[in-house]
Amino acid sequence: MTAATGPAATIGGHAGGEVELIGLEKRFDDVVAVDRVDLEIASGEFFSLLGPSGCGKTTTLRLIAGFERPTGGDIRLDGASLAAVPPDRRPVNTVFQNYALFPHLNVLDNVAFGMRYQKVKRAERERRAKEALELVELGDYAKRRPHQLSGGQQQRVALARALVLRPAVLLLDEPLGALDAKIRRALRVELKALQEEVGTTFIFVTHDQEEALSMSDRIAVMHEGRVDQVGTPREIYEGPATLFVADFLGVANVMDVEVVTSDGRGCRLRVGERELRAECDFLGSGAASAVVRPERLRVLPHGESGENFIPGMIDRTIYVGSNLQVMVRLANGGLLQASVPNDGADLESHAQGAPVSVHVPPDALRILAPRG
Amino acid sequence: MRNEGGIWRTLSIPGVVWLVLFVVVPAYAVVAVAMGQIDSLLQPVPQWNPIDWNVGFVKEAFTSVLPGGTYWPATRNTIVFVAVTVVLCFAIGYPVAYYVARKAGRSKGLLLLLIFLPFWVSYLMRMLAWIGLLAPDGYVNVVLGWFGIGHTEWLSGNPYSVIAALTYGYIPYFILPVYAGLDRIDQRLLEASRDLGASAARTFLRVTLPLSWPSILAGSVLIVLPMFGDYYTNDLISGSPHTNMLGNSVNLLVQGGSQKNLGAALVLVLMTILAIGMLYYLWETRRQQEKLAS
Amino acid sequence: MSRLIDPWGRPRWLRLTTWAYIAWSLVPVLAAIVFSFNDGRSRSVWQGFSTRWWWGDPNLSVFHDPIYTNALVHSLELAALDMLIATPLGFLLAIGLSRWRGRGSGSANFLMLVPLTTPELAMAVSLLLVFTQLTIIPFTWVALGTTAQVIGQVTFSVSYVVVIVRSRLASLGPEYEEAARDLGASARQSLQHVLLPLLLPAAFASTLIVFALSIDDFVVTQYMSAGGETVTIPMLLYANARGAATTPALNAVATIMVIVTLVGVGGAYLVLRWFGHRSGEAGGEAAGQMGMDLTGME
Ligand SMILES: Nc1ncnc2c1ncn2[C@@H]1O[C@H](COP(=O)(O)OP(=O)(O)OP(=O)(O)O)[C@@H](O)[C@H]1O
Ligand SMILES: [Mg+2]
Repeated sequence: MTAATGPAATIGGHAGGEVELIGLEKRFDDVVAVDRVDLEIASGEFFSLLGPSGCGKTTTLRLIAGFERPTGGDIRLDGASLAAVPPDRRPVNTVFQNYALFPHLNVLDNVAFGMRYQKVKRAERERRAKEALELVELGDYAKRRPHQLSGGQQQRVALARALVLRPAVLLLDEPLGALDAKIRRALRVELKALQEEVGTTFIFVTHDQEEALSMSDRIAVMHEGRVDQVGTPREIYEGPATLFVADFLGVANVMDVEVVTSDGRGCRLRVGERELRAECDFLGSGAASAVVRPERLRVLPHGESGENFIPGMIDRTIYVGSNLQVMVRLANGGLLQASVPNDGADLESHAQGAPVSVHVPPDALRILAPRG
Repeated sequence: MRNEGGIWRTLSIPGVVWLVLFVVVPAYAVVAVAMGQIDSLLQPVPQWNPIDWNVGFVKEAFTSVLPGGTYWPATRNTIVFVAVTVVLCFAIGYPVAYYVARKAGRSKGLLLLLIFLPFWVSYLMRMLAWIGLLAPDGYVNVVLGWFGIGHTEWLSGNPYSVIAALTYGYIPYFILPVYAGLDRIDQRLLEASRDLGASAARTFLRVTLPLSWPSILAGSVLIVLPMFGDYYTNDLISGSPHTNMLGNSVNLLVQGGSQKNLGAALVLVLMTILAIGMLYYLWETRRQQEKLAS
Repeated sequence: MSRLIDPWGRPRWLRLTTWAYIAWSLVPVLAAIVFSFNDGRSRSVWQGFSTRWWWGDPNLSVFHDPIYTNALVHSLELAALDMLIATPLGFLLAIGLSRWRGRGSGSANFLMLVPLTTPELAMAVSLLLVFTQLTIIPFTWVALGTTAQVIGQVTFSVSYVVVIVRSRLASLGPEYEEAARDLGASARQSLQHVLLPLLLPAAFASTLIVFALSIDDFVVTQYMSAGGETVTIPMLLYANARGAATTPALNAVATIMVIVTLVGVGGAYLVLRWFGHRSGEAGGEAAGQMGMDLTGME
């Protein structure tokens, strides 16, 4: 999907594509599927909605597409409210989770389907549909029926079918969900490249954190119908705003700590007997949670000491190939998980029961107000 | 989707109008005739206005189907024949459905074709087939003769022939839903049961049978409903008033001519009985569904 | 292990029961077909092979005796009219009912089920009374005879069409329609360009079932009939099956009916398989569905 300047130019996004969700709410009887969500998505952005099953991602997408009527709030596209616009009149297209390719039409007719309703001339429809298929590298498959394609190919037809309409916003509901791990990884790269090429706003739904982190410009993490945090992948991964976000994005160590002093730029924490320094903007003092990613911890032989070292004992070491997962039991009974690169050194120093010192870099600690 | 409800209602209109004209209005006509009068030529005079309804015929019909009434023998026959037929359909049909759904292996396709075949042969043709075989000089008597069983009159007032014919006629309609129900049972449940130590027989009794109960009920309803309006089986296989069922009584009153009012009233009685049965069926299936849903 | 049981074996008595059942269900019908080729007048004692009751006898054979030819033609005529009216009516009703929410939709749904849950005799009686007793338009326009027979047959056929089409709609789910709307089709356009083509196999299957229902129907057709002109084959079977004077020509006409139905069903099966092939669905399923749908209650 490179060097496709020609097709990409004809498909290339609609100007605009700025989406605003304002206090958006959707209730199904007694379930609140989407709970007062506020989001601003910039034009041309690759924006992901990330969250566990049932958190309201699909519902949010269906609200933007117009299949569900909001029970509260508003959706604006480039400043104009979509409230009274039916789905077929919204300059928004969807790549459905199971693709929903029409089984009675061949690939080309599937891709050309929507242009009929934009009053595009027949010859022009065919030309653009073919170009869109070229763009997703399926030019040779135009006459096939959807069921004669592999899952990955179907996904790309669905993509072409939506993009050929030059939508202001493309909605994708777990478009890689039905594919096997290897194809997923390959398509991730292609999808991102395609998005950069056409410049259309993508709103991408997934429950796979790796997918969201690797593709998105920004991510909104959803939890029980609400948005917990919005930010770039790095902001979200390294500076989770809630314990939920910390936990949902990869493995996180959560320690109960007591903030002793803080001055807005740094603070001192007490963990059991030890004191740690952390870079944080947390103001005030008292009980809090400290979150630290396993790959930021360093496990050193016993005896190393200094600032931000905690002594412990190796509880268990799990070999996962590229690295070692080392579980360190602390003096206060807590357990820390560290990820140690497998540099080929002998595993003796990480054997069970070995005493160690764990270094926690001050900038790796994220201090959150305690649960509840 | 938004304010487009209109198009769907518009599509439904022709069908709904048809059903109102030819289901609702005729149902009301039955009530009007049952609650109407009779003129000097013994012709019914329907009473369309509920204020002037005459409940005489309906009362008569109700008492006539109870013990001691004119149609009590028909009621009794209906109950006995229908009950025995349902039991026979279960006894024969369940093993067949079970075998085809779960044990047939590679021959499943062929067996399905063969058990579907009777659906495409008219009911009356299938009765005709038995009339030839059960005739006094027919092959049933010939074969029984080889075993020293003497000549039997099968086709005049023999209740066993009627039950056999009803079973033969309706069993495909019982097998079909039961087959579908058994086919739907998740194989993994049966494997789980075996895995947890239940024998094949216990797995059948404690997993398969309870899970197929709704489809057994559906199959029973499917054959009981038409049997309550069946007059042709009796007319063809027995022809004698001794084996009359309620359907025969209604048919004689309405088509035979002179007592359409009472015939209509009898239809009301029949529908009341069936409505009670259907309510029980609906209640039971809902209960089953709730049991599975929770 | 004292007893040797093959855990992979199939229960023999079940297999035996099944094949015995199949023999029991089919052999009498085959026997009746064979008797249509009987050389004598008997329908119960074999007297040698001949085709006299099919075409040999210039007056009494199926293809020469007007009683049989009329009934055959009338049966087919009713079936054609029933298919022509009941299929579109039921098809539209199914689509409408599946989406129509709000006032009246509940009653319409209930109404649709009534013909399936009422003994045919009750329907026949009610139609007879309404056509003979109710003296308002449009019922006065309908006299007993062909028109009444068609109305009666359509009335119960519609429900079967609705059940079949709706089960197909349910298995399609809302996704294709939503995709069409998403791509810019209006509600009407998505109905026309997506839903209708996808429902074509179901419409076709239901047409065939209507045909079979009509050909085989007895009760309503008999109640709505008016004299010799309106006799159908099932009515002939009912009237003459016990008659002492009846010849094997009756068996022959019954056989024709079976053949017509089976050819129709077999053809439909092939067409459905072809439909299935085109869109990548399991072919046998559609045909199996036809059998399932016949019961209408599932
Ligand atoms: N049509 C509906 N009727 C009732 N409840 C619904 C409906 N659609 C969704 N819900 C409920 O709304 C909540 C959010 O559902 P949604 O499909 O948006 O989740 P999701 O985040 O997409 O989950 P998944 O990752 O499993 O697809 C769930 O609790 C779901 O049960
Ligand atoms: Mg979802």
